[in-house]
Amino acid sequence: MALIELDEVSKLYGFGDATTLALDEVSLSVEKGEFIAVMGPSGSGKTTLMNIIGLLDRPSHGSYVLGGKQVAHQPAAQQAKLRRDQIGFVFQFYNLLPRLNVLDNVALPLTYKGMTPVRRAKRASDILELVGMRDREYYMPYQLSGGQAQRAAIARALINRPSIIIADEPTGNLDSQDSRVVMELLAEVHRQGNTILLVTHNPELTRYASRVLYMYDGTIVGDEKTAIGQMARHARRIFFRKPRTTDNDIAAGVSALIRDVPDKALNPRAKRGRPPKVKKPARRRKAYRTKN
Amino acid sequence: MWSGNLKTAIGSLRQRRWRTIFTMLGIVIGISSVVTVVSLGYGFKHQIVGQINQLGSNVLTVRPGKVIDKQGGVSSLNLYSFLAPSTLTSDDVSSVRHLGLVSSVAPIEFVTNVASGDNGELDNVFVAGTSSNLFDLLHQNINYGAPFSEDDADQNFAVIGSDIAAKLFGVLNPVGSTVHIDGQDFIVHGVLAPSSGGFLSIAQADYNTSVFIPTAAADSLTSNHSNVLQILARVKPQANIDQAAARIRSTIAHNHGGTVDFSVLKQNELLGVTDQVLGKITNFISALAAISLLVGGIGIMNIMLVSVSERTREIGIRKAIGATNRQILNQFLVEGLALSIGGGIIGIGISYLVNLILRLYSSWHPVISVPILILAAGVSIGTGIIFSIAPALQAARKNPIDALRGE
Ligand SMILES: Nc1ncnc2c1ncn2[C@@H]1O[C@H](COP(=O)(O)OP(=O)(O)OP(=O)(O)O)[C@@H](O)[C@H]1O
Ligand SMILES: [Mg+2]
Repeated sequence: MALIELDEVSKLYGFGDATTLALDEVSLSVEKGEFIAVMGPSGSGKTTLMNIIGLLDRPSHGSYVLGGKQVAHQPAAQQAKLRRDQIGFVFQFYNLLPRLNVLDNVALPLTYKGMTPVRRAKRASDILELVGMRDREYYMPYQLSGGQAQRAAIARALINRPSIIIADEPTGNLDSQDSRVVMELLAEVHRQGNTILLVTHNPELTRYASRVLYMYDGTIVGDEKTAIGQMARHARRIFFRKPRTTDNDIAAGVSALIRDVPDKALNPRAKRGRPPKVKKPARRRKAYRTKN
Repeated sequence: MWSGNLKTAIGSLRQRRWRTIFTMLGIVIGISSVVTVVSLGYGFKHQIVGQINQLGSNVLTVRPGKVIDKQGGVSSLNLYSFLAPSTLTSDDVSSVRHLGLVSSVAPIEFVTNVASGDNGELDNVFVAGTSSNLFDLLHQNINYGAPFSEDDADQNFAVIGSDIAAKLFGVLNPVGSTVHIDGQDFIVHGVLAPSSGGFLSIAQADYNTSVFIPTAAADSLTSNHSNVLQILARVKPQANIDQAAARIRSTIAHNHGGTVDFSVLKQNELLGVTDQVLGKITNFISALAAISLLVGGIGIMNIMLVSVSERTREIGIRKAIGATNRQILNQFLVEGLALSIGGGIIGIGISYLVNLILRLYSSWHPVISVPILILAAGVSIGTGIIFSIAPALQAARKNPIDALRGE
């Protein structure tokens, strides 16, 4: 039984003419212990997918089974508890609370569990040791470098021993040296048996993953198992094509990645320019109901 | 959980120090004024009850106007009676004096509020005509000199309060000096011992700021248009007090052609009247002070709303790492409560300070009692909850991703 089971999950933003279909009937099943890298151009729905899996957002349609339980339509308080106990988030911009020191930031999820301050501090200290930040316990977030802040954020994500770590472009703000440190940390967490979902624009980081998802226009257009340590096949192609950005592209502000629309093989149902399917979800909703 | 919230709240309030201080100010002003007003009311009541008890239970007080309305057995205070000119006259005084049931009778006739002495003029003096036995009747001690005697009734003698002695002559014992009232000279014959009487005393004056002169002199100053504020009558020990009251009532009513446009009050009725007057005044002023509490509460709500929208991202992060709506609600509720309770504590502190200053520099003796403190505490907690519930709910209901994205 898969840990995460998404079935025809759609996410619509806005309404009327301004409707955006951020996720279009995405089905996905993730086994425990997988390290999944999610790639795809900007606006392809990666963050939306992560937010739904992380229970920060609800799907408009479709079903989401987490650990054998239907969770998409659970009450907010239940979802908060699942976020607390099962899921750890790592964000691109660290999202540490600026007024708390590193130790308090890391211990914060435990306060929502009602743990005593002494035990909280002990546990946070231990985790900070693990990420090599023990000597920065009493620093404030603004006193940290990007890499240190991200390590603190990873410590915070780990403190409740979650089964799933969701990292949305965790290295997006870091130089290659810091990226490496952060990725090695995630790899270590993965080796401990955690399931990791990593959103990245950097094809090289697929080396850490056991599986790579490629997204385009709200759908998963490629799903590739890969050996850890190897760059994924399609990712490699993107990687090698990257330097071929022309001067014209740079002048237009278009990066190789954004321009890199997956080819026909990857993208059998080309949907570019198709208007959002506003009617469709009603039908799907019924389908979802019959399934229950 | 609550202590953690408190720590968070204090941290965030410290961060925004000036904003916190100004927000608290409304509550500080509200709480300190309510506590001060109520404690003044308590203090007055205390003083007056003391005075009335000092007067003794066998003293009847006659006052102009129908002070108490008796309707269906329920007596209530008739405030209009205090506005009407006095209907009591010197004739009433002598009629009462001739009754067999009473042993001692003294009027208090208002003359003027201006008097001058060596140190200049005062315009907040209670100058009253009375008879020589008033001081005995009031159990009021004389510190220096002596009260005027019955034989001095046609002399221009004056017995003055201790404050007047200090203000008009600058000495403790000005016996023999001259005090000028309405162009006439009076020789200071005695100085009263300081009394605790506030301005709301039974004579509606503070003895410390009073000048008493013989009735004859008073009548000549007012050209016989004396304004008899009250008549005090001590009932003989063997006489029944209710009978005596009835006799006095019928005697004065007879003088007034049958109309009872005055009141004869026993000690307990006097207490009741005092209680009611003070209660009404205290309630009225407290209601005014409570408006500042309302304004303070709205200030808290306003600041909390600002705080919630400023910290949208923080709320998003807290939710992402597992805070429930309820936990977010508590966090902001505790912050609002910290503001209002902090303001309440400072307000109570300030009322203690005001209390001390009043006790040192005025004749008032406000009393901060436990019920007032409980009231103040309750009001600040209540204000905090009522006015931070809306902002806290707003914070709690924020959608986590919108909050994370938002700024
Ligand atoms: N709150 C929102 N309201 C309206 N549209 C939204 C909202 N959030 C996302 N979208 C739309 O949904 C689509 C997918 O957005 P998403 O953030 O998931 O992309 P992404 O793959 O994470 O992009 P990036 O690589 O730039 O982070 C985009 O077209 C975006 O405009
Ligand atoms: Mg994104």
